Amino acid sequence: MASSSLKLISTATLISQGAEAKVYKANLTSDPSDPPVLLKHRFRKGYRHPTLDASLTRTRVSAEARALLKCLRAGVHVPGVRMVDVSEGVLAIEWIHGQSVRKLLPGGGEEEPEPEPGSVESLEEYGTPVDALMQLIGQEIAKMHLADVIHGDLTTSNMMLRHPSSFDPQRPTTELVLIDFGLSFHSSLVEDKAVDLYVLERAFSSTHPESEPLFASVLKAYEEAMGKDWTPIKRRLDDVRLRGRKRSMVG
Amino acid sequence: MPARVLNNPLKNPERPYLAIGLEGSANKFGAGVIKHLEDGSTSVLSNVRHTYITPPGEGFQPRDTALHHREWALKVINECLVKANISMHDVDCICFTEGPGMGAPLQSVALIARTLSLLFNKPLIGVNHCVGHIEMGREVTGAHNPVVLYVSGGNTQVIAYSRQCYRIFGETLDIAVGNCLDRFARVIDLSNDPAPGYNIEQEAKKGKRLLSLPYATKGMDVSFSGILTAIEAYTYDKRFRADGLPRNSEDQDIITPADLCFSLQETIYAMLVEITERAMAHIGSKEILIVGGVGCNERLQDMMRIMAEEREGKVFAMDESFCIDNGIMIAQAGLLSFRMGFETPLSKSSTTQRFRTDEVHVSWRA
Repeated sequence: MASSSLKLISTATLISQGAEAKVYKANLTSDPSDPPVLLKHRFRKGYRHPTLDASLTRTRVSAEARALLKCLRAGVHVPGVRMVDVSEGVLAIEWIHGQSVRKLLPGGGEEEPEPEPGSVESLEEYGTPVDALMQLIGQEIAKMHLADVIHGDLTTSNMMLRHPSSFDPQRPTTELVLIDFGLSFHSSLVEDKAVDLYVLERAFSSTHPESEPLFASVLKAYEEAMGKDWTPIKRRLDDVRLRGRKRSMVG
Repeated sequence: MPARVLNNPLKNPERPYLAIGLEGSANKFGAGVIKHLEDGSTSVLSNVRHTYITPPGEGFQPRDTALHHREWALKVINECLVKANISMHDVDCICFTEGPGMGAPLQSVALIARTLSLLFNKPLIGVNHCVGHIEMGREVTGAHNPVVLYVSGGNTQVIAYSRQCYRIFGETLDIAVGNCLDRFARVIDLSNDPAPGYNIEQEAKKGKRLLSLPYATKGMDVSFSGILTAIEAYTYDKRFRADGLPRNSEDQDIITPADLCFSLQETIYAMLVEITERAMAHIGSKEILIVGGVGCNERLQDMMRIMAEEREGKVFAMDESFCIDNGIMIAQAGLLSFRMGFETPLSKSSTTQRFRTDEVHVSWRA
């Protein structure tokens, strides 16, 4: 008999297929008023040896869930964990109603298939100026790094702004949510934090042309939130920038 | 952003073009003649190669490899011209590998190319070895705009084309996948004939037991050096039987060389398929082209095919005559750039061991 998580998937709607997982929108209960969840299914990879596949899936699902929990405990805005099934490779997390930062920023919609007119939401709708958004990004990353969680794949596609309708209309606020902790790990090393920032810097410059002032304000907010931890990270970030990621190719 | 012009900058030639390519960046010396016809089609007139094979347990040293190339160059080039039924006077340009590769062998081949160029008064074209692999792969398989997995003894890269440049999306952080295989073949004394990787593949077919090895992917990059250390460590394990046979009927829990080959292949190829899949998802491409010596491994091709089916994609792979280093791929890439007006002056015809794939301006593609 198929397991209950697989049954759940059969009732869910497929949203996209990423590099290693299929992403679905589903309901955990039959009550339609309950909020939906996002299912991330690391499905069985036929090309991998079954033993290897099972152990990789197991470690990756639990690592992702652990990183999310660690962030939640430290007050970082990330999706809440709703269900973990390591043997099937299913992780259910809170459904975030909102839009990715990549699509909200100028230039981020390119290289995507043609968006339908009117479907692109603008920052005005979220009531957040670009500069405030950059500050939020810096603050969230700082909170995460203070908790010794390294995201591993910081890009503007992996950050979402919650839609204003998610909040109490009496107390409107803005909340930036970090998502996709598939490549995250635990580390307190200055090196790893600096590399994390460098990855984001490169993502900014490749997806959002003329983004230098944008990233500078992200760093400024990050600096303020990190306090005394900032100096060594800044020094290392300068090193990492010089080093680049690419080695010179021999042979 | 201005709309990208997708007109092919390479016009069909007004007459047939002939090029000879000389390759010798590692332990193979190859020569090949390619012909570009007026209708834009291409034909391979000849493709000859000689491999320097070392005894089991030994790798090829730069000095001896260079010596091998010098000894075999004239025989191979002559045979290649005879098979193509042309004379050196007929070719339009002489293409050679500029890099990357081992210094001494590269220099020997460049010297031969220079001499021929002066003797017959033909232009020289320096070619990037990796671009040669990619261009030949595209030509042979007809892949349109694939994600390229380039796996060989010296290189491991995931590449995709963008704006006249072959961009490297992921690569090895330390040793190449072929290097890892070759060195392990030496550890268990497998023959280097015809190639260590081929013998590992045959041995792996007998393996049953999957041993746990590190699995080192970092985003779109991979690392193999730790895996090599870990698999070597199994040969010191007290369960390891070098002859692959149990000592007696009670000796059940054993590790054989075949098991090690099997585990090594399963682990490293899974890593390669995973980073290729990541690159495909990132770029949104449905085509995969596998090039380089390790690319003729059938297990790797099978795994890639399964992954492609899961994503509704398509795999393009080649047999050993074009996968393994050869002269014809140098001729192909060289002739493409020659037709775009590129030429390497004699004074600039030195070689380089370090020459990244993304340093080449791919002028012949839109």
